[in-house]
Amino acid sequence: MVALRQFLTLNAQILYWTFVAPFAGKPTVRIDAIFQQMVRIGVQAVPMAALTSLSIGLTLAMQGSHELARMGATSYVPDLLSITLLRELAPLLTGVVVIGRSGSAITAELGTMKVSEEIEALEVMSINPIRFLVAPRVIAMIIMLPCLVVFSNYIGFVGGWLICNFALDINTTAYIMRLVESADMMDLISGMTKSFVFGWLISVISCQSGLGVTGGAEGVGRSTTKSVVLCILVMLVVNAILTGMFFIIEGPKG
Amino acid sequence: MSENNRETVIEVRDLVRKFGSRTVLNGISFTVERGDTMIIMGGSGCGKSTLLRHIIGSLRPTSGSIKIFGEETTTMSEEQMEKLRLRFGMNFQFGALLQSLTVGENVALPLIENSKVDPAIVDLVVKMKLELVGLTGFENLKPAEISGGMRKRVGLARAVALDPELLFSDEPTSGLDPIMTAVIDQLTMDLTQKLHMTAVVVTHDMASAFRIGTKMIVLGAGKRAGTIIAHGTPDDIKNSPDPEVQQFIRGEPDGPVPLKLAPEDYIDRLLGHDRDKGVSY
Repeated sequence: MVALRQFLTLNAQILYWTFVAPFAGKPTVRIDAIFQQMVRIGVQAVPMAALTSLSIGLTLAMQGSHELARMGATSYVPDLLSITLLRELAPLLTGVVVIGRSGSAITAELGTMKVSEEIEALEVMSINPIRFLVAPRVIAMIIMLPCLVVFSNYIGFVGGWLICNFALDINTTAYIMRLVESADMMDLISGMTKSFVFGWLISVISCQSGLGVTGGAEGVGRSTTKSVVLCILVMLVVNAILTGMFFIIEGPKG
Repeated sequence: MSENNRETVIEVRDLVRKFGSRTVLNGISFTVERGDTMIIMGGSGCGKSTLLRHIIGSLRPTSGSIKIFGEETTTMSEEQMEKLRLRFGMNFQFGALLQSLTVGENVALPLIENSKVDPAIVDLVVKMKLELVGLTGFENLKPAEISGGMRKRVGLARAVALDPELLFSDEPTSGLDPIMTAVIDQLTMDLTQKLHMTAVVVTHDMASAFRIGTKMIVLGAGKRAGTIIAHGTPDDIKNSPDPEVQQFIRGEPDGPVPLKLAPEDYIDRLLGHDRDKGVSY
C-alpha cells in the first residue's frame, strides 16, 4: 500500500515538473537530458530489439505454418503474424528487452546515487531530483518504447517473410498484400497503446525502486532485482487487462 | 564586534530525533550568529551528521524547532525549503559529486540549474572556484578519475559556487594531507572573515577545529549520547571541567568514555555463561 501511494505521488510529481512547472516560471526538465536518455533507452536497444523480434517472427511463422498446413491453410501465416505481433508479442517482448536493459540500469544508477548521497546533494543544491533525474528518464522511455515497438513490428514481419518466401511458396507481393489486408487499424492502436502504458510503468517503477534504495551496494542489487521482477509482473498483468479492455471494446472478431 | 547585535543565522531549540526506539538527538539547543564558524564535535556515531542533516532539512525532527535566517524550517513546505537552500552550500563527507558529470560540470551545476547566467561566466566561475581549492586544470576529469581528497575539495568548490551565506561542511579535512588541510582551513576562515559567510563544520580534527572555530559544541557519548556536553568558544572548551570533553580533545583512549562499549563483562561474553555458576574450565 505504501509502495502504491509512493507510485502515485511520484507520478504526480513527474506530471507537475513536465506540464505545470514550465508555466509556473519554474526550472524545466532539461531537453538535452531527455535526448541523452532517449539514445540510451531507445537507440542503443535497437540491435537487441531487432534480434528478439526477428527470432520471434521466424518462430511464429514456422510454428504457425506447421499447424495451418494440417488444414491446408498455410496462406494464412501472414494473418497470424500480423495479429500476434502487432497486438501482443512486439509490445511484450520489446518491453522485456527494455526492462532488462534500461529498467535495471535506471534502478541501479539511481540507487547508487542515493547510496552515495548524490540525490541528497542535489536536494541541498535546490535541484529537484524528480525534475533532474526521474522526469527525463520517464519521458524518454514513454517516447522510445513505442518507437522500438514499431521497429520490432517491422523486423518481426521480416522474420515471417523469410519463412514464407523461402519455405512456404508465399512470394513477397502476396505476403505484403496479406499482411496489409489482415491487419486493421485497431491492431496497431491496441499494440501502440500497450507500448505507451508499458513505457510509463517500466520507467516509473524503475525510478521508484532506485530512489527507494537503502543499505549500500547490497541494497542496490536487491532493489534492482526486485524492480526487474516487479516490472515484468506488472507488465504481464496490465497486458492481460488491456487485451481484455480491447476485447470488450471491439467485441469478438467476426 | 559584540555578541548581541549580530544576526542569528541558525537557532536550534530542543531538537529531538528518534529512530524507532533509539534516541539519536536528545534536546539539542544552540545558536549560530553571522560570521561564526561553529564546530560540531563528538565521537563517531554520536549524531553529528544526523544533526547536520536536520539543519539542512534532509531529515525532519521528532520534536523541537530549527530556525534558519529567522524562518522555521521544521514545518516548511518542500518548495519553501528549496528557496531557502539557495542560500546554503553543503560540502558532503565524501564529496557526493555526480559521477556522470565531469569535475567542471559538477561545480557548474548549481549555477546552471539555479540561475540564468551566461555560459562564459559559468566557465569563469568554475575556474575561480577550482582555483580556490587548488584544482585548476582538473575540469575535464570525471570524479572516478581523481582521488578521494580531491573529490572532497571539488565538493567544497561546488558548495561555494553560488557564494552562499551559510556553508555546511561534513568532515572537510578528513583524509587530506596536512598542507591541504591548512589550505581548506584557511579558505574557510577567509570566507567567514572576509565575506561574512557563516560556517557550520563537523570535524574530528582537533587542530583544525581549534584553528578555524569561533564557537564549538561537543556531543556526548554513552549515557549522555545525543546531548550537548560542552558549548562555547574554543577557550571555553579547552578549559572545560568535564572529563569527557577533556578526554575527547586530548584524544585519550580510556577515561569517562570507556574503551569497551558492552555493559557485560568481556570474559562472560566470550565464554557465553556466568562464571559465578561454578562451571569448571
